[in-house]
Amino acid sequence: MLSIIVILPFISALFLGILYLSNPTKKRYKLYTLIGSGVPTVIAFISFGLFFKLFNGAPSLHEDLFNWIAIGDFEIPVAFTLDRLSSIMLVFISGIGALIHIYATGYMRDEEGYGKFFSYFNFFMGAMFLLILANNPIMMFIGWELVGLASYLLIGFYHQDHDNITAANKAFILNRVGDFGFIMGIALLFISLEGTAFTFDAIALNIHNIDLQTLTWIGILLFIGAMGKSAQIPLYVWLPDAMAGPTPVSALIHAATMVTAGVYMVARYSFLYVEIPQVGLFIAYIGAFSALFAAIIATYQSDIKKILAYSTMSQLGYMFIAVGLGAYSSGVFHVFTHAFFKALLFMGAGAVIIALHHEQNIFKMGGLKKQLPLVYVTMFVATLAISGIAPFAGFFSKDAILASAFASEHYLIWGIGSFTAFLTAFYMFRLLFTVFIAPASSENKLHSLPKSMTWPLVVLAIGSATAGFLGRNEAYGGENWMGHFLALPDMVIHLSHKSEYLLGGLNMLLGLSGMFLAYKMFAIKSEAPQERHFFNRLVINKFYVDTLYTRIFVQPLLLLSHLIANVIDPKLFDGIITTLSQGYLLVGRQFSRLQSGKVRLYAIQILVGISLMSYYMLFKLGVLG
Amino acid sequence: MMQDILLALPMAIIVLGAFVLMILGQSKKLPLEKLSHVSLLFLLLSLLIQLFTINSYAPHFLFAEIFKESFIVDKFAAIFDIMFTVGAGLTLLINNDYFKSRNYFSGEYFALLLFSVFGMMMLSHAHELISIFIALEIASLSVYTLVGYHKDNHLSSEAMMKYMILGALTGAFFLLGIALIYALVGSTSLTDIAQYVEAHNIQELSLVLVGGSFIMVSILFKIGAVPFHAWIIDVYHGAPYPITMFIASTFKIAIFAIALRLYLVDFASVNSFWNEMLQAITIITLFGGSWLALSQKQVKRMLAASSIVHSGYLLIGISSIGFGSDLAAAAVMFYLIAYFLSAAGAFGILSFIASRSSKQMTYDDFKGFAQRRPYMALMMTIFMLSLAGFPSTIGFLGKFYIFTSAIESGQILLAGLGIFTAFVSVYYYFKLVAMMYFYPSTTPQKVFPLNVSTVIIAMMALIIVWGGIGTSLVPYIPGADGFINIAVDAIKSLH
Repeated sequence: MLSIIVILPFISALFLGILYLSNPTKKRYKLYTLIGSGVPTVIAFISFGLFFKLFNGAPSLHEDLFNWIAIGDFEIPVAFTLDRLSSIMLVFISGIGALIHIYATGYMRDEEGYGKFFSYFNFFMGAMFLLILANNPIMMFIGWELVGLASYLLIGFYHQDHDNITAANKAFILNRVGDFGFIMGIALLFISLEGTAFTFDAIALNIHNIDLQTLTWIGILLFIGAMGKSAQIPLYVWLPDAMAGPTPVSALIHAATMVTAGVYMVARYSFLYVEIPQVGLFIAYIGAFSALFAAIIATYQSDIKKILAYSTMSQLGYMFIAVGLGAYSSGVFHVFTHAFFKALLFMGAGAVIIALHHEQNIFKMGGLKKQLPLVYVTMFVATLAISGIAPFAGFFSKDAILASAFASEHYLIWGIGSFTAFLTAFYMFRLLFTVFIAPASSENKLHSLPKSMTWPLVVLAIGSATAGFLGRNEAYGGENWMGHFLALPDMVIHLSHKSEYLLGGLNMLLGLSGMFLAYKMFAIKSEAPQERHFFNRLVINKFYVDTLYTRIFVQPLLLLSHLIANVIDPKLFDGIITTLSQGYLLVGRQFSRLQSGKVRLYAIQILVGISLMSYYMLFKLGVLG
Repeated sequence: MMQDILLALPMAIIVLGAFVLMILGQSKKLPLEKLSHVSLLFLLLSLLIQLFTINSYAPHFLFAEIFKESFIVDKFAAIFDIMFTVGAGLTLLINNDYFKSRNYFSGEYFALLLFSVFGMMMLSHAHELISIFIALEIASLSVYTLVGYHKDNHLSSEAMMKYMILGALTGAFFLLGIALIYALVGSTSLTDIAQYVEAHNIQELSLVLVGGSFIMVSILFKIGAVPFHAWIIDVYHGAPYPITMFIASTFKIAIFAIALRLYLVDFASVNSFWNEMLQAITIITLFGGSWLALSQKQVKRMLAASSIVHSGYLLIGISSIGFGSDLAAAAVMFYLIAYFLSAAGAFGILSFIASRSSKQMTYDDFKGFAQRRPYMALMMTIFMLSLAGFPSTIGFLGKFYIFTSAIESGQILLAGLGIFTAFVSVYYYFKLVAMMYFYPSTTPQKVFPLNVSTVIIAMMALIIVWGGIGTSLVPYIPGADGFINIAVDAIKSLH
């Protein structure tokens, strides 16, 4: 069953790809829709089935497909494992994935490359399942690379526009930096294990044989991979640009699933990270600063998708705070809840974009509450959820993270996290009020929305409202089912119920005050941010990080390339090599003059050869001295 | 006795087929295509029996009561037999159009081809020096005739004459070598010689060593090692395309069958005697071959010259055996398989093109080929990549194993030179690729001709890629690991 989950999307991607290539201009809307969204739906049902098996207490499922590499005793099988961690990932990725596929059949309906889009999209699903179900680091790495490829292809989907190609390249290249760290980490882990079996279970058993220093390096290198994929400081700059892709792509890949792969990876390696808490702390700080940094930038953005992109980065920061501090199940819990409300936000944004004929600037929207009531209500739910207002999903998961930060006495992280929670509420309601409540700047004639785009919103809204109950802890009358089910090596929290209520109350208060501030500033009259004073210019220009990167990395590299291309290569290397090869050719021509075509000369060559051999024999046999 | 008959059946079928074809060939009514089918039938029958029996026996002497220890059947010989029959079958299948397009072909062509396959099979089974010589001559004489098959073409006749004269010259040395060995050992059986060599120290073995050297002359001549190489280009060029393909891929391999057997079994304890000489010959073969290949203008002549370089790589492997590399023998075997597939494919395409035009096929004639025939150009590119040893093809793995064995045995210089000439080979192989892809075509695109020849060529291209990257995922089709397992098994059965 597990291999079917992984293989089926690849097969349908291949099939759709061939079908599309056979005649790119032909409209086969029904066929593409049936296969493209049918396969993820079927897989979602299979995944639910498997999840309930584990839910009812079945042990981890394991499936061997075939042996990929066998060198002596060492083997790398293509094998899949469904344990509790991956089952949680599987169930929401396949479920939300199927919903977004259905949504995309509406969103992408009039696009020329409809078939191509679904081919890539299904390919992504296969790669993502490979990543989460892999039972060894190598398979995981392959999935990791393939989701990167899918992301690249889909960011550059509108390839007619040159900027989108640049954005795709940016994402790909920055991910290369991260992936380099990731594969170095895997390699170092492999070397340090000295040839013992290389599956996650086996590594967990043998991890104590590795000395602490090496382990630290492995932890850092692996996390560099996570920085790239999950858009954390300093490798985050690709994520906002990645919004160049179609909105369903942003919803699925750059919000709900792929970007959380880094968090999943750290949780998967939790047995490693519990050994090196100082690296964990580093991760938590990176997460905290990413969360704050992104939230500040988001408050001054005007592009609806960019705001959501920064918000994604900010929420990923929370997840890394959790896994960094050792609260793995809280981190995964936030991945889980975040997938619902962030996918919903993107899909709602996509609905607005389609309705307004591809307008993305929120300050050119307004007053859509009446025209798009369903979108408004569902997005309201999602915004409440992300702002951490009880009892919506985000409250429980964010509260769990902040409680762990508080309990572990890292008050700076806790402080940053709480302040970011306030900012989150502020910029999210700023978006919501500007788009739906504030008076419209101009009269819009709306494009109608197909059913396939609206009812997935409802499903996700229900999820956003209720998913948090799965992880309620004792203080809120639950039993932290999520944490018990995952059974990861979590840190132990000692907090009295009273302090938990206090922290939760504080979070609510911060969220509500952010909401209130946003209402004051944007609900009645909303204005695009102006570059007025220093701070505000700094934030609108995203702290000039892109410019900085261009100055520090891109331009010197280009300069060096020019130097090599125009001076070193043609003068130095080409010169030497050309001279050498001309010489070699000349010798060749001289030598081929022996090829005279006269058989007597050939015979002489043979006899000379035999004479030399005879001389060798005489010498070797000792006849000649 | 029954088992012996079964084991000898593949050879018997081939020789029987040759006789049948000689009789059928006299008939003027039978079209050539029918004769081709008949010979394919015999080859297929033989191949099926070989595949059927390959795993079912231990090394065993054929008809020991009659022939003593003259003929052996082991996995080593069986794998070579498979390559010979497959090689001949491919020659017939791929050149299905060629002999129809030329009016000088007649029924004897098929009979001679089968006779030469019979000679090669005998060669791989032979375990006695005189039998080896006879087998070699059966194969060679058939090939000589085939080379000169285009009687009206002076190039073809000239090539045959050259080949025969020089072949006779080196053949004489082979006989001389046998005589010298017999003079000392008193037997021509390889078992006896091996025992004798084992039992005596090197000072007492002068005659065997000198005799061995003379036998080596003949072998080096047949594989085209410098300075015994001069015939190769002229003969490959003069011979009709199907024959060139047959010599280059199949016949060349047959010589290695016997070379490996002699070197690994009989002279195993003294083969370090030839170390420096083999190294020297390897070096001049690598350089000489690549010099010749660089200066050719015709693709067929370039492939001929480059086959000298490939002999050089194989000699690196042989020389590594002498220096005690465990991997080397299997590496040589693997390289043979890789070269067999790539060369057969490359010559096959040439012959396929030649069957539709009478051009000489210089590099310039390939300008714009990719536009004219995109699929053929793709396959040609795959064969060129494999010959040049590019990763993801079987040719890369072949070179990889050879160089690894050279490094393992401490011959860093040879490995380095091998890598260097492999670099140089990119020049003459990719020149063809560049010609095909970087020039516009003057004639419009042609439809891919879907027939036996092209399907077989396409399959070979796939096998080359699968042999470079494939796994054991697909049953019955060996991937990269499957081929090396075959090579290792074959070598194991020698000991």
